[in-house]
Amino acid sequence: MLSQSIWWASITLEVLLLARAIRGKLAFRYPVFYFYISFIIFEDLISFLVYRWKPAFYSYTYWTTEFLCVLIGCGIVFEIYRVGLASFPGTARMARNILVVLFIVAAAKGLVAAANDPRWWLEAGTLELERTLRVMQAVCVAALVALFLFYSIPFGKNLRGILLGYGFFIGMRVITLTFFIGGSDASRQFWGYTYSASYLIALGVWCIHLWSYEASPAARQAIQIERHYQRVAAATQRRLHDARTYVAKAVGS
Amino acid sequence: MIGAPTAILLGIVLLLLLLLLAARGSTVARELGSAPDLPMLDDEAGLDACPPEFVARIFSSDDWEFVSGTRSRQLQGLFRRERKLVALVWVDQTSKAIRRIMREHTEATRQSHDLQFATETKLALQYAELMLICGVLFLAIQAAGPQRVRGLALYAGTLSQRLTQAQQNFKTVTTGREFHGAGSS
Repeated sequence: MLSQSIWWASITLEVLLLARAIRGKLAFRYPVFYFYISFIIFEDLISFLVYRWKPAFYSYTYWTTEFLCVLIGCGIVFEIYRVGLASFPGTARMARNILVVLFIVAAAKGLVAAANDPRWWLEAGTLELERTLRVMQAVCVAALVALFLFYSIPFGKNLRGILLGYGFFIGMRVITLTFFIGGSDASRQFWGYTYSASYLIALGVWCIHLWSYEASPAARQAIQIERHYQRVAAATQRRLHDARTYVAKAVGS
Repeated sequence: MIGAPTAILLGIVLLLLLLLLAARGSTVARELGSAPDLPMLDDEAGLDACPPEFVARIFSSDDWEFVSGTRSRQLQGLFRRERKLVALVWVDQTSKAIRRIMREHTEATRQSHDLQFATETKLALQYAELMLICGVLFLAIQAAGPQRVRGLALYAGTLSQRLTQAQQNFKTVTTGREFHGAGSS
């Protein structure tokens, strides 16, 4: 009964979200995100039909569409990066470098783990594989959020909503999957509901933030943008050095 | 492939970062609306908000020695409380000034086309180190009081100097051995 309610509530919110996007022309501004929502509606319907008429194929259908969702989710992360940092080429460059470093670290870790335990790929279940992919997504989203915070990137209501909702969903998915994999049958039911509820919360966040289009606050033009980066960096380095000397002098002298 | 504790930790870190983002969203919007267009990075004031002679006295033991000479417990207690408060305010002001330096830097460079990854990483690490020092100072002042913090800082400084000296001696000895080894072979 509870799962049925969550399912119907999710479908309703997804359709509402899509309807508002078409009405407010938000779908053209965030195409990947709305493609993701459309795909989830399609996934829900297909899963429902298969479960009803061909239950033996349900597991295959579910996992195939779930992995496609993970892939489209990577597209959402890219869309957040693209839209959020469109006016900030400096921060965009930092984000690219950080993501490349993270990708290299993850690939190296994967290769080392595969070399140590070559049977992992064969023995890992679909849940474990999904968790690994979701963790990678979580790391990328966390790196982007940290960068947005560090550089004080201003957000429009819409993009903030997409980031908050999707980030929350990914974070909760990683946590629930971890407990689900290692838990008993009784606790699995609880974590299953927690996962569904977290998706419902994410949908709520999206509905609130994406109800209508709101332009991003115009970024204050970089102060004296013609200033060379090296000069700015050198000035900051000197000021931080001065601060360090000041603190050391005050405490130690 | 990924351990359960690591995965849970990553999930929690992400949720905390999002919480910060949600909390800071409104602040940034307010700042965008009200921030004056002041020239940045030329403003060297801020760290020197406290006169140097005043700052030097916060962690100095001279005043404490004078107060303890009065042998009044009430006065000693009052002095300790007041001095701790002043020291904490100073740490807070200093960390705010450091945050402002970094905020001004990020605001000036986030739109820069020639931003360098290595330089930015180095600055971020320097900033993190300074903020960590301020955090440790804050905790130490809360726990031990400013006078003892000075003692600890002096002890750490001496220890650091000894370590540097030992490292230099070790380097000299190693280089000497390598030199002798190369000579005998």
